[in-house]
Amino acid sequence: MSSALWLAVLASAAGTLLMRLLPLLWMQRRLQKSASEDGLEAMPQWLGILGPLMIAAVLGVSLVPATTDASSWLATAIGVLVTLLVWWRLRSLGWPVAAGVAAYGVVVTLLG
Amino acid sequence: MSQQATHALPRPWLAGLREAIPLLGGYVPVAISFGLIAIQAGFSTWEAVIISTLVYAGASQFLFVGMVAAGAPLWLVVVMTLLINARHVVYAPNLAPWLTTSRWWPWLMHGLTDQVFALAHSRLPQLPASQRLGWFTGAALLAWASWIGGTALGAVAGEELITRWPLLGEVMPFALPALFLVLVAPRFTSRRWSLALGSAIAIAALLTVNGLTNAAIPLAAACGALCFYLVKFDVTTRGERDE
Repeated sequence: MSSALWLAVLASAAGTLLMRLLPLLWMQRRLQKSASEDGLEAMPQWLGILGPLMIAAVLGVSLVPATTDASSWLATAIGVLVTLLVWWRLRSLGWPVAAGVAAYGVVVTLLG
Repeated sequence: MSQQATHALPRPWLAGLREAIPLLGGYVPVAISFGLIAIQAGFSTWEAVIISTLVYAGASQFLFVGMVAAGAPLWLVVVMTLLINARHVVYAPNLAPWLTTSRWWPWLMHGLTDQVFALAHSRLPQLPASQRLGWFTGAALLAWASWIGGTALGAVAGEELITRWPLLGEVMPFALPALFLVLVAPRFTSRRWSLALGSAIAIAALLTVNGLTNAAIPLAAACGALCFYLVKFDVTTRGERDE
């Protein structure tokens, strides 16, 4: 890589790190200044609402299969159902994911 | 991996490692693809690994090597990379109320990807304060290591791996939506939240289907927030509050 390209990599890396880090420092300062004992009270309401919605949006993006044909969508739907069913019964993190991946894999294999 | 109660873990970093394992299903195949594409775009194995180590942001890395290979001006490459990653600015403040005073936290924010944020946002509030640093370190380091390792694997042997086990690369990424589903499901606590979350999921999926993957996350979250503020129900289910 040329020097200019290295600089571009470093600038992208530093910029990305700062976008992850500086808002934390801002929020920590805000929390320290707040007279409230409950940290959640110091967080702007819109920010607290945006957090779960960002996770929901990441879910929406990841639900779209790489190849958007009918069999991939069917596998996704069955994988989602199995994941939710196992989560509903166990309320845990690991088993629902393992069951969902297994169900998705079985459907992909059968239809592939 | 119970999510139900605040409880002390004997080794929080190990619990963090264990709970981040589902992330690997999504990270490793995508990192292998990145390694392969970087090599095809003219980068060396080491260069691909260094980009994954330092930038550590999936979509923007693909854009970076793609634009460089296409001969785009480097200032534009940097601007586009940062624009795609701009959504990360809302992640750390959402975790801040649960972070302790350790000086390690700012440096650990390098590992705050979409997926690590989703996991930490659900798990940190359930852990005792003394265990949060260890848990986050374990989870974030495993995710980072898998991204770097996957990139190296893809750069060295990506083509052979994809040819030999095409199904594995197709099936394992479902671990990501399955994990997010488990993280989002407990948040459907009222009709107001259900509508906002459902809208965000549907809009993000629709935008992605139409090729707008990079804009999908911030746009869908903004639409979900709009739903949350515009639609108010008089009666909420299960006696839960709206906010």
